[in-house]
Amino acid sequence: MGLNFLTHEIGSLAKPPWLVKTSQGRELDPGDVEHARTWGEKVGVEGHEELVESLERGNADPDEVARWSSRYCVRLQESAGLDVIWDGEQQRSEMYAWAIAHANGFEPRGTVRSFDNKYYSKSAAVGPVSLREPYHNEEFLFLQSVAKARLKIPITGAYTLAVWSYDEHHTPKEGRLGAGYGRKQEIDARRELTLDIARNLIRPNLEALIALGADWIQIDEPGASTEGDELDLFVESFNVSVEGLDCFFSTHLCFSDYDLFFPAIERMSGCGQYCVGFANYDRRELGTSGADRPGYEVISKFRDLPYDPILGLGVLDIHTDFVESPELVRDRILYAVDVFGDPARIHVCPDCGLRTRSWEVAYDKLRALVEGVHRAEEALTRTTV
Amino acid sequence: MQVEAYVPGICPRSEALVQATRDLDRGRTTQEAVDEQVERDLAELVSAEQAAGLDLLADGMIRWQDHFRPLLDAAEGLETGALTRFLDTNTFYRAPRATTGDPKLSAPLGERYVAPLPGPRLVTLPSPFALAQGTGIPPKVMAEGVLKPAMEGLDAELVVLAEPFFVRDDGAKLEDLADALEALAGGPKLALWLEFGDAGPALEQGAADLPVEGLGIDFYATHPEDLPEAFGKLLLAGVVDARSSVPEEPRELAAFAARLGERGAERIALVPNGDLQYVSAPIAQEKIARLGKAKTATTEVAA
Repeated sequence: MGLNFLTHEIGSLAKPPWLVKTSQGRELDPGDVEHARTWGEKVGVEGHEELVESLERGNADPDEVARWSSRYCVRLQESAGLDVIWDGEQQRSEMYAWAIAHANGFEPRGTVRSFDNKYYSKSAAVGPVSLREPYHNEEFLFLQSVAKARLKIPITGAYTLAVWSYDEHHTPKEGRLGAGYGRKQEIDARRELTLDIARNLIRPNLEALIALGADWIQIDEPGASTEGDELDLFVESFNVSVEGLDCFFSTHLCFSDYDLFFPAIERMSGCGQYCVGFANYDRRELGTSGADRPGYEVISKFRDLPYDPILGLGVLDIHTDFVESPELVRDRILYAVDVFGDPARIHVCPDCGLRTRSWEVAYDKLRALVEGVHRAEEALTRTTV
Repeated sequence: MQVEAYVPGICPRSEALVQATRDLDRGRTTQEAVDEQVERDLAELVSAEQAAGLDLLADGMIRWQDHFRPLLDAAEGLETGALTRFLDTNTFYRAPRATTGDPKLSAPLGERYVAPLPGPRLVTLPSPFALAQGTGIPPKVMAEGVLKPAMEGLDAELVVLAEPFFVRDDGAKLEDLADALEALAGGPKLALWLEFGDAGPALEQGAADLPVEGLGIDFYATHPEDLPEAFGKLLLAGVVDARSSVPEEPRELAAFAARLGERGAERIALVPNGDLQYVSAPIAQEKIARLGKAKTATTEVAA
């Protein structure tokens, strides 16, 4: 039958200590240099000795070290066996901050907690939004020169950028207290900001990448379901961002009540693939029945979308060091194939970016993902022979 | 009309503490170093509260990862569940999960999570309804087994029970909440803080009669006309928007307090409409300062 599930990463990987410290101007310790040496050998980074030497000398250029880190992450994912990769966003500050830093119309407003000891920088929209300069071109050109596997570019979407920002431009500064300033006004303000970002920040950025040869762009929308009554706006912003552009577009959704997306995303036919985190909600026991796989209950709704998008099936819980066994990955895939009835509509990926895991854990998880894919392919091939 | 001001709930961490906790997670610093920064954050927060002239001091729950974590870690029969979005924010919490039908906290949380303060203080804990949410455990059982022991011997002028879910839950019954709050009676004075949401329907159901000393209302989402006339309880008036980066205008807050007074609210405490952790530490400090100025301005407005 020749089954072959496409595997891909979602976006971020942890930044290695030698990159973090170099960027911050801090002194490296021998363990940091050893990390660079060990991983360079382990995943086959050509010429990594050059990096090791510069780290040992203590005069490494932070931008050059970031490019080395990109090379390491590319090889890490290729070595794990993924088909489609990116560089773990090694040259970006963070998915929100990087985009905002290259946009006009925002000002920083400090750091806010995401959860536990994880935080994000938050800015306020203070005026009309525009693109200062295309902000993924340089890394795309660099990765084109380095990667052996196919590339998929993750780019933070308009709705997420809007909902993760304060809005001092469209929201009144005074007069809201006790005035019955209601949801309608809030949604109207958010719509103005979101579509401003879609038209004037995201779309020109996408056009620039496509002009350079990008053929798969993943629009990350982890904030998409933040407001249950704004899902139509999320869909509208996606459509405004990509309509008429010649590229394969996917979107990434995570850590949400996915039922909320229906029926809104029935109108998002420009999205060729939804990569969605499910493993976080699933059991760890083996099994391929619906009862065994509660985290995947919602996938039939993606199956039934009127334009037959591919499902990027999240099979790795990225918030734990627990390494999923290949058998667990296999069973999650087999369940999804059973629900979809068409293996060609299933790709396999982690729930989300693995940046909160160490490289050791991320690598083990990704290898388990690839091995689990092979076992699923074998199991399905056996049943169809 | 008597007007006070204070800041219940979780306050944001300073940039220094953000970095220290990040470093701790990545093995780049020690717990001792983080503890020292927590103490500096706490001192700075208390100093800001004192400078603003707040009537009760609060510790900002600097060590709490979310509204529930220390209780889930300490209580038998409770554990952390799935990472869950907190309302419609970009902040997440580990949802409580019950492993027995009768969770128990054997001792109060101690000073690590309820810090001693140099003056009359308020302490924030989750409301029994919020703690019970999604666990299958009745709020009253949570109150008796977990929250009551947490308040044992607690030296506080006021315990604020943070309740973000009740006003957004169409199926929530006021009687269940009332029974749970009744079970907490006999200790420090209690206030139920209905965070981030329209309290109008709950007030219509009779929330003003709940067995607590005070009731907190988000007046960015609740119309003041929904407040019953001659409101007899301490009104924790949510007048600082904890989700907006724009510092409030003190005279606007004072004028609003006067408006509440005209509706018959006799005891008002100006508070944020939810935890200030949804803005950064510098913005939170500015909002605290303006809360204090608003309290002062109420006197001028009254004059």
